[in-house]
Amino acid sequence: MLAVGNRCYVSVGETGGLARAVELADRVRASGRSSGADIGAPEVVTRTVFDTADRRLRAAGLELAVEVVEAADGPATMVLDGPAGARPLRVPCPRPRRRYLVGDLPDGDLVARLAPIVDVRALLPVVEIRREDIPIAVLDREAKTVVRLRVGDLWAVAKGVPAPLPAPAPVPLLGRVEVTGVLGYRRHYDRVDAALQGDPALSASGVTVVDEAVTAVGGSPGGLSSSVRVDLDREEPTGAAARRVLRRLADVVEANRPGTLEDLDTEFLHDLRVAVRRSRSVLRQTKRAFDPDLRREHADSLRWLQAVTGPTRDLDVQLLEWDGLVARVPDDRRPALEPARGLLVEHRAAALRTMKAALRSAEHRRRWTAWRLFLAADADGPTGVAGVAGVDAGRPIHRVARRRARSLHARIVRDGRALTPDSPAEALHDIRKRGKELRYLLALFGPSLWPAAEVKPLERAMKDLQNVLGHHNDRDVQARRLSALAPELAHRPGGPAALLALGSLIDRLEADQRLARADVAERLAALAQIDLRGIT
Amino acid sequence: MKVLASYNIKGGVGKTAAAVNLGVLAARDGFRTLLWDLDPQGAASFLLRVRPRVKGGGRKLVRGRSDLADLLRGSDVEGLDLLPADFSYRHLDLALDGTKHPTRRLATVLAPLAEHYDLVLVDCQPAISLVSESVFDAADALVVPLIPSTLSLRTFDQLLAYVHDEVERPPEIVAFFSMVDGRKKLHRDVMARLPLDHPEVTPIAIPAASEVELMGTRRRAVVDSAPRSRAAQAYRDLWTELRTRLDLR
Repeated sequence: MLAVGNRCYVSVGETGGLARAVELADRVRASGRSSGADIGAPEVVTRTVFDTADRRLRAAGLELAVEVVEAADGPATMVLDGPAGARPLRVPCPRPRRRYLVGDLPDGDLVARLAPIVDVRALLPVVEIRREDIPIAVLDREAKTVVRLRVGDLWAVAKGVPAPLPAPAPVPLLGRVEVTGVLGYRRHYDRVDAALQGDPALSASGVTVVDEAVTAVGGSPGGLSSSVRVDLDREEPTGAAARRVLRRLADVVEANRPGTLEDLDTEFLHDLRVAVRRSRSVLRQTKRAFDPDLRREHADSLRWLQAVTGPTRDLDVQLLEWDGLVARVPDDRRPALEPARGLLVEHRAAALRTMKAALRSAEHRRRWTAWRLFLAADADGPTGVAGVAGVDAGRPIHRVARRRARSLHARIVRDGRALTPDSPAEALHDIRKRGKELRYLLALFGPSLWPAAEVKPLERAMKDLQNVLGHHNDRDVQARRLSALAPELAHRPGGPAALLALGSLIDRLEADQRLARADVAERLAALAQIDLRGIT
Repeated sequence: MKVLASYNIKGGVGKTAAAVNLGVLAARDGFRTLLWDLDPQGAASFLLRVRPRVKGGGRKLVRGRSDLADLLRGSDVEGLDLLPADFSYRHLDLALDGTKHPTRRLATVLAPLAEHYDLVLVDCQPAISLVSESVFDAADALVVPLIPSTLSLRTFDQLLAYVHDEVERPPEIVAFFSMVDGRKKLHRDVMARLPLDHPEVTPIAIPAASEVELMGTRRRAVVDSAPRSRAAQAYRDLWTELRTRLDLR
């Protein structure tokens, strides 16, 4: 790798700007054999940092930003920094957009590097950092730049989609001194860096500028997390334990709601729905801990939320899987399927409008507020919002969870044994639904309640089973949904050819479904062998 | 990675000025650019303020025994690096002659740099030799500055004939006018006629301007030291033309 040294110091003294630059230039001149330190004209650079909502680039040690140099007439520059020591990738680009999907990026190298990390997630503005930099070029005897310094005063501005209103004021950050080497001049860099390390007004930067900026404007450097890890005590009463898990799941729903409404990428809606689905499952598995009437009321609200978001998600999945599906069809028939894709896009736009209206409705507000109040209520407190505590409310969570895990496992095994080659697709789908319940139980409660060594074999067997059931079910659903397009497609330009190609695709999906069914029996047999005595 | 060689059999025609200015423009456009100063005179290295020295000399370099990462130098322009000249390059023909597949050696030296650079500009010696044959093999294009005079055209025809007849994988040729004095009728006539007869020749003309000559004193590219000058604009036009003709993205 052609690495150059790079280090960032935080300026802890009160001196900033030009005075600091002059001080540093003097220190550098005094430090070694360089012929001089040339202080350049100040530059004001605004840097908008982009990342996925869950900060995947940060986790991968990368930083993507769009830089605009004030007083420059040229385009902005998209810069990809990282991994540490590598030279940044800089690409001219238009002024920063509201969001980028990976296909929108202005350069093939950028796409190639970021696509595996970002996948379908949108790159959104995380924070804007305004820097007033004074560049200092450390020169050798040929008056050549051998080390670059930048003395910077920085401010952070909150960003988001939609943009926050009113426009937020800039928040000052700690001053920075950045030293960057020039390729082939390592000794000069080391000398200057050593001089800076001895400067009492500078200290090594413990956090990155971006993390400091995000924290300063009230954000979380790690971004949005849809993971649910609630540490439970085995003896914790089931009512309280379930509420804690449900509150965390409600947090995930709320965190993903703005991105869903803005349609920033498909994962916001996906994560929102997974959280709703898990919430419904927790309510079902711990139903005897709650007031039955209230439980039914809130189960109905969650079902309503699942239903109003379902059609959009279904169409997202169809469109995300479209290229893979079309690849199954002979080359000469693929162009004929384009009208079908066009129809899906139209349906998706309509479903999105309906979903947005529902999520912004008074009904949704009423239902969700009631749910939140119910979760906030103390299970042992007076009845009212919490209702009458159920028989399991005071029971230790490990007992209720154990009972449910064993019951679900036994039911799946029993239903699996009853399957025949002629069993309808619905029968496999029912097993899959129960399988999801068991997996959610293991994921949400298992880590706190049972040893990993006991849970892992069951989790593995369930994952294997769910994979083939999922494959079977997905093919069934895809085939039926594509068939449902036929009446509308028939009247579209290119419709007859599209129908022919669609028929060919549906045949392949049904053949896949039959292959998947052949694997189900084997996976069910493996699940039946798992010993649950360690789930205590 | 694309390789462009600034080349002419004749010396003093503006090869180095072109290579340095194109290098700066490419880097500013976001191309990770390497300028290889292959001329033992080391003019490009001088202009970029880098000592013309390569550890181990040219012999070790072309025999693949040098660690390239140790030899490269960053210039004052971010995104533009230099593989400096060395006086030992005056014997590069001999060094190549002792190798297997001598006309492929320079391409072999450059190959490991493909992951680090988008563009390599080679500032060539004014000669027709084993080194130039190796450059022709490695290059995607020859960028040929032409003084619009009779003798200059004669050597250009010789170059075209040689490249088309003798080179196994001939690079594209993009020629432009250099050191042009618009007051001279000969220059004006040649510039009007030549592009019509030769599609390799663009009508872009770098003037014989003091800004270009002052590069040696200022040790900066014209596009930086005199960005509004006619010469700077001509180099920018040349860079745009190269990007279009060679599909540089």
